[in-house]
Amino acid sequence: MGYALIRPVRLNLEAFARATGTHPELIRRLVALGLLDADRDAAGELWFAPSQVAAMGRVQRLRAGFGLNYAAIGLVCDLLDRIAVLEAALRISRR
Amino acid sequence: MAERGDFYETLGVPRTASQDEIQRAYRKLARQHHPDINKAPGAEDRFKEISEAYDVLSDPETRRRYDAFGPDFRQVPADVDPETWRRMRASAGAGQARGARPGGFGSGPGDLGGLDIEDLLGGLFGGRAGRGWGPIPGADQEAELELTVEEAYRGGHRSVALEGPDGRHSFDVKIPAGVTSGQRIRLAGQGGRGSDGAPNGDLYFVVRIASHPRYRVEGRDLYVDLPLAPWEAALGTSVAVETPGGEMKVKVPPGTSSGKRLRLRNRGLPHPRGHAGHLYAEVRIMVPGKLTDPERQLFEQLAAVSTFDPRRR
Repeated sequence: MGYALIRPVRLNLEAFARATGTHPELIRRLVALGLLDADRDAAGELWFAPSQVAAMGRVQRLRAGFGLNYAAIGLVCDLLDRIAVLEAALRISRR
Repeated sequence: MAERGDFYETLGVPRTASQDEIQRAYRKLARQHHPDINKAPGAEDRFKEISEAYDVLSDPETRRRYDAFGPDFRQVPADVDPETWRRMRASAGAGQARGARPGGFGSGPGDLGGLDIEDLLGGLFGGRAGRGWGPIPGADQEAELELTVEEAYRGGHRSVALEGPDGRHSFDVKIPAGVTSGQRIRLAGQGGRGSDGAPNGDLYFVVRIASHPRYRVEGRDLYVDLPLAPWEAALGTSVAVETPGGEMKVKVPPGTSSGKRLRLRNRGLPHPRGHAGHLYAEVRIMVPGKLTDPERQLFEQLAAVSTFDPRRR
């Protein structure tokens, strides 16, 4: 079953948990570990940009595929992001 | 589901490989083909095959059963003797040859009698890490899309075929007019498949503009050589220049030297949300390889009369 994401500007914790099929507690932990970006409003509630759904997917895949711990996932994600930036720069300079 | 290859071949190890060798081969291949590390559209399916092979071969008991019963080992009840199984397979195979479905276990290789292998493995990613992760969105994928300068100028639709899990799949890619090298064209939801109903990833086509015999591309600007005869460059003229949008007249002012760039405003690649690039015609003065007698006389006359010294500082 799929959940339609009608491009909301941001998702609250519950909507984010539904979209990613994960438990809110796990999400809270990943935010605390800096693996997901979230804004906290005045009431203390977490809000997520839609792009974080894909970020969550990556965390899940890396965890599942390699059995990485959370610190290692953070490291791998940072390195992958840096590689993506470098590859994009390389593509532009090569044309 | 397509028929799967031999698990040992998938991992690239001999049937006699030790558990250590199997583990090493799996780790190496998994790092190469993990969909978050390898953005090629085929990587995820390769990763799946590798994971499935490792799931079976990493456990000595399932490995023993795989060795004894082959790819259908999951259908074989736990207490069946390999010899008995082989005889049953042989008669079932004879039935298949006559076009009948084999009875008994009732399925061919790869078909698990209505059971989806994904269910058995708990989904591609769900299974390995254990429970608690639920559905996992698919990874984004990237493929290169080579375009000619003309295609980038005009935009339009282009059908691109990529190897997928179920053979070649063709995508209708909408190319915006004025796309540049390095730009990514997104096909939403066409990337890696999400497990358990989670959303698919996106497929990105990364544009690369192929080198062109006439145009050089820099961003949205185009450069083209403009060969001129010495007298055209000296006296000025108007010449036709090919542009991707059709032929254009360029006015060459008198006294134009090699290397001078004549700009044709907004005749480069269009910009969907801004200013189009320019087309620059770069002057190259050419001389005849062989002069006729009158030409030689005229050049000699010019040499005698002219005080022009291009090397004067």
